[in-house]
Order: sequence, then structure tokens, then C-alpha cells
Amino acid sequence: MKKIAVVSTIVLSAFSAAAFAGTIHGKVSGVSGESVVYVEAVAGKTFPAPTQHITIDQKGLMFVPHITAVAQGTTVEFLNSDSVAHNVFWISISGNKKLGHNLGTWPKGQRQSFKFDNPGIVPLLCNVHPEMAGYVIVSPTPYFAVTDASGSFKIDNVPDGAYTVTAWHEGAKNKSNPVKVAGDTSADFTLSK
Amino acid sequence: MNGKQLSLLLIATFVALSVSPSASAIPAFSRRYGTSCTTCHSDFPKLNDFGKAFKDAGFKFPKDDESFLKTPPVLLGAPAQAELWPHTVYPGSIPGLLPIGLRYNTYYQQIGANRNNFNQALPAGTVGNFIPKSDFQPGYFSIFTAGSFGTGISWWVDDDISVAGANANGALGDGYLKFNDLSRFLKMPTDSLNMRAGQFELDLPFSQARTWNLSGWDIFSQANVGIQNGLGPAQNVNNGSALEDAANGVEFSGGHSYQGYHYSFAVFDQNTTGVAISPPNVAPQNAVAFNSDANFKDMYGRLAYRFNLEKDPASRNEVQAAGAMGPRDHTYLALGAFYFYGRTAQPFSGVLADGVTPTVLTAREPYYRVGGDVNFNYHNFNLFGVYVAAHDHNLLPVTASGAEGITGFTPGSAVTYSGGFAEADYLALPWAMTIMRWDQVKSSADRINFIQYDPTAPPGSSFFSPYSATRNRFTPGEQFLIHANIKASLEYQIMPQQVVYNPATGAVITGPFRTNALILGLEFVY
Repeated sequence: MKKIAVVSTIVLSAFSAAAFAGTIHGKVSGVSGESVVYVEAVAGKTFPAPTQHITIDQKGLMFVPHITAVAQGTTVEFLNSDSVAHNVFWISISGNKKLGHNLGTWPKGQRQSFKFDNPGIVPLLCNVHPEMAGYVIVSPTPYFAVTDASGSFKIDNVPDGAYTVTAWHEGAKNKSNPVKVAGDTSADFTLSK
Repeated sequence: MNGKQLSLLLIATFVALSVSPSASAIPAFSRRYGTSCTTCHSDFPKLNDFGKAFKDAGFKFPKDDESFLKTPPVLLGAPAQAELWPHTVYPGSIPGLLPIGLRYNTYYQQIGANRNNFNQALPAGTVGNFIPKSDFQPGYFSIFTAGSFGTGISWWVDDDISVAGANANGALGDGYLKFNDLSRFLKMPTDSLNMRAGQFELDLPFSQARTWNLSGWDIFSQANVGIQNGLGPAQNVNNGSALEDAANGVEFSGGHSYQGYHYSFAVFDQNTTGVAISPPNVAPQNAVAFNSDANFKDMYGRLAYRFNLEKDPASRNEVQAAGAMGPRDHTYLALGAFYFYGRTAQPFSGVLADGVTPTVLTAREPYYRVGGDVNFNYHNFNLFGVYVAAHDHNLLPVTASGAEGITGFTPGSAVTYSGGFAEADYLALPWAMTIMRWDQVKSSADRINFIQYDPTAPPGSSFFSPYSATRNRFTPGEQFLIHANIKASLEYQIMPQQVVYNPATGAVITGPFRTNALILGLEFVY
């Protein structure tokens, strides 16, 4: 009898979770190429820092990938695969210059790690190759997605509720829209430069 | 839409496209690798350590060049064809993009109030040279192309398409093919032997052809032309060559300019008159002209060593130092020495020992230039200099008693000059460099020449008759990169004091005066 009760509880919990976890899907238009869409911070809600590290490579005088989206608290490893010296720095995070940082210099094959505890847009630069540019978008929630080249995106496992969802694209103005998630929810964004 | 409206639309479209930011310019290597000028230049064309290594490697990235190419090269044969050689043409490659860069500059000059003092030597009422107070001037429009053909063969060609607005008034600068790292065939250390052939600037410690200053270093443009005017020691030298002159020949070199040793040895044509010899009706019929004006081949050698002074051994041996805030140029001290040996040949109409039979007598006058250089760099501060001593053998014509012309030559006092420069560059910001220079040349030939200068045919440079030393000046300057490929420069030349002499007696006509000059320049490459 006790076993039946436990199984019933698990099934009900799973059912409840499925019932209250939605999906945000849509399209970012007005710009071409990859964008990032993420759910802004939720009042009173915190999320554990991801344990998985993300790698951004420096290869052929480029940051690869050019755009990386991570959740707040993620550790990013910056790898240098080039046979020339690189460095990585950012002068601000979302315009806050106090959060600027320089990781120094490291040779081919080595990595430097940094844990992004502050959410925002991190424009990556290299001080010897000024043409190099990359972006880390640190989402304040684990609910984010990088669009495909056509602008389409899908964010899974978003609990039902009311949120502010922001779309970011390199060189365009951010756009934040209120989105009420209830199951499979659609949200489109039109950005402009 | 009528024809006029269509024309206006086309013109407007053309103008709009011409000034569109999307048409922003990048030179040949930038296109090839998709990288900024500042990857190789600190203040173009001044090379940083990476640029030096890039040049040393034959205009390639020192390691893994292929991984940086944004446009793949066009293969002139599959690499596997190499195994068939000599039964096939050895496979090479050409760049996938036409590697052409263009450069243009324009100037503005402001000359000091004493600029027309030279006219005081003219008889009253004579129209003399007029030097304006200010002047806008077109500069150089140059084309340059360089790159690698693969398998360790590189090239460089640059040419001034126009100078000072005159079409095709320029000249070929460098044009050579370089065989990099021949040492690999001889089991010698990597890069210890290269060879280049063609026309090239001598391996000067600091390139005059690609100087970043608005005006070149005086010592490298110094010729040694003496005269016999009775106002000074007789000098029978007519050596128009200067260290900055392009050489035609072959050069062997090795080592690196960003670390350790570097040497070069060149054998090249002698041409001290600056006049190409037109071929008469003899072979080779396809020769436009002969570059040499004598049988002698000149020689130039240079040996230098650069000590990278980084504390960290790993960083010390890398192309660039690992700074706390990113890669940077090394702190280094480089010392070098160079030696040039040539022999001028001046033919004269003379007579044989009998005093009457006409003949041609040739004064063959060996000459040398010897010098040393030092180059110190600490982060963004670069201090460097060169000293040169020049010596020309001086054969004075003699006429035997009763002869109807010169019958031979007798050694006179050598015609010498010496001098050099010291320069400090401070890269205050990545786009702003402050420069302080001091140039000096002491030439007895120049001083005697311009004591006797002909007032009806003023000297080529009106700022060339110094009072004590022949050429010396302080030249503070500032350069700004508007973009990585656009530069605004200024320099203020504080010139030596000058005087005007009576051409007949050598008496001083004017008090010592200066003709300082302000030069502004705008330059862009694309």
C-alpha cells in the first residue's frame, strides 16, 4: 500500500511538472543572423550555477562561436587554438565598466577560465587583434536560446507564469516584451539597429 | 527620366558608393588574413614584433599560416605533384585574392620667415627663387604587392605611380623574389639562410623606404659630391649614391629581426652617377638600359643581435611578450653594425704621358660607409639611433708640365662625412605616437659646395647651407591613427642655422638664420 502511494505521488508530481512547464518559441526578425532570447530575472527566484563549463575558442583570429549564451554563474573556458598569442578582455558587462576584466595572455593550447556571476552582455575583445569580436550573453535565468540563422528559437522547460523576455542581437537595440507562459507559448520580436 | 537626370543619378550613386563606410579599406595582408593593420604595425608602417616575424617568415604567419588564411590560395599544382619532380613543374600557389595595396599621402608645409634669405646673394633686381610661406602638396600614390608563393618563396613589389602629382614620375621601390629558409635544404638551423634577388633597399637597421616619419633620416640620404672651387680642400669625388638607394643584386640573410641574431650580405650593381646606361647596338638587344655604371659590384653587410629582456624565459622566446594585459612588444636591446664598400669610376678626357695623345683616364675611387646602430624598447617607448662614418678616396687630377690635358691622378685628402640620428618614439595611446628626433650630418663636401653655390641656379634645397655642421635638426612630431589605415602626422623641423655666402669670395652676406618648417601629412592605405 505504501509502495502504491509513493508511485502515485511520483506520477502525479511528474504530471504536474509537465502540466506547468511550458515552451517559448518564436522568431526574431528585423535583423539577420543569430540572436539570443532569454528570460529576465524572476523576482524572488534564484537558480543554481551550472556545473558544466562552456568553451569559447580563439581560432583563425576569431572567437568561435561568435555568440555564446550561458546562464548566470556559468564558468567559461577561453581556449587559444591559434599559434599566435591572444588575450581576452571586455570593457564592461551591459555597459557597466566596473565589471570590465582582462584575462591576460596565454599561448596555444592553453585555457583561461572565468565565472560569469553577473548577467548581461559581455563583448569579448582581443587587444592585439582589434578585428576580433565575440559575445557572451549571460542570462539571469536558465531559460535562454540562441536563434538559428533565420531567427527562430525555442526555449524549453519554462514554468508557466508571467515573465519579461528579452531579445538581443549584435549591433541592434535590445527588445524586452512581457510574455505569459502557459504551455506552448509564442513570442516574436522585431529588432532594429 | 531624361538623360541629364539619369547622369545626375549615376553620379550621385557613384559618390554615395565612394564615401560609403562599407567601402572601408584594408591592404593586401589584411584582406588575406582578415585582420587589422595593427596586427603587424604599431603605427604603420612601423612594424611591431609580430610584423617583424611576419616579414622574416616570408610574409606569412610564423606558424600554421594556412589556418589563418581567410581565402584559400590557388594551387598551381597538387601538392602530390612534388613527388613527381623533376618530371613535372614543382607545385606552388598564388594568393586567392589579388594581393594589392595602395597608398596615398598629401602634405601641407609652412616655412619660416627667413625662407627667401638666399635671394640676398642676387644682384639687385634679379628675380630669384620664391619660396611660399605655406604650400599644399600632393604626395605619393604608390602601389605595393607582396605575399608568398608557397614552398618558402615570397615576393615584394612596390612602385610610386605618381609623385607630387606628376604622373608616372615615381619609381620602382623594391621588387624582389625571396627564397626563405634555404637552410632547410642544407640541414642548417631554421631561417639561417635566405636569399633574395632583384631590386631592394639595403638591409638598413631602420628602413628609409618604409619610414613612419614624414621626412626621412638625413644620414641615409647623404651623398658625397665634392668640388674643387678654391675655397676649400680640392675634392674630386662625384659619389651620388646614398645608403637609402635601391640596390640591384642578390642578398643572403639569416636569423630574425625580432629575436637573436640577424645578418645579411648583399652584392649589387654599382651606380654612383644615378644614370642608367643605354645599350648600344650590342646584345642583349632586349635590355632597356644597363643599371651599372661600372664593372665593379658593391657590397653591403650587416650583423645585429637583439636581446629580448623579458624575465620569463618562455615569453622571451615567443614572437611577442606575454604582458599582463595581453601580448605586447618585447622589452629589448638590439645592437648592430653595417659596412658598405664600393668603388666609383669617374672617366676624364686626358692625354697620355707624351702630353698630347688624347685618351680616357678613369679615377677609380674606393669608398666605404661603416656604421653602428642601437635600438631599445620598453613597452611603448622606443629609443634608437644610428651612427655612420663615410670615407671616399679622393684622386685629384694632375697635369704634367707642358701637357695639354690631365695626365693622371694623385691622392688627395679623403672626402668624408659622418653623422646619424637618434629618435625616441612613445606610443602614448594605441593611436597616438609622439616622436622626437635629432639628425646630424657633417660633410665637408656639402659645406664647400654651398659656400660657392651659384646664386643664379640656387641649390636643390634652400635649407642646405648650414653654418657649422652641414645638416642637423631637431624634429619633434606627433602621429595619429584616425583608423588603423588612416594617419595624420605632423612634424616641426628645427633646422640648423644657415648663411648666404658671396659666391666669388666666400664672404658671409647674411647673418646666421633658420628656416624652420612645419609639415602636416595625411596618409591612407587600402
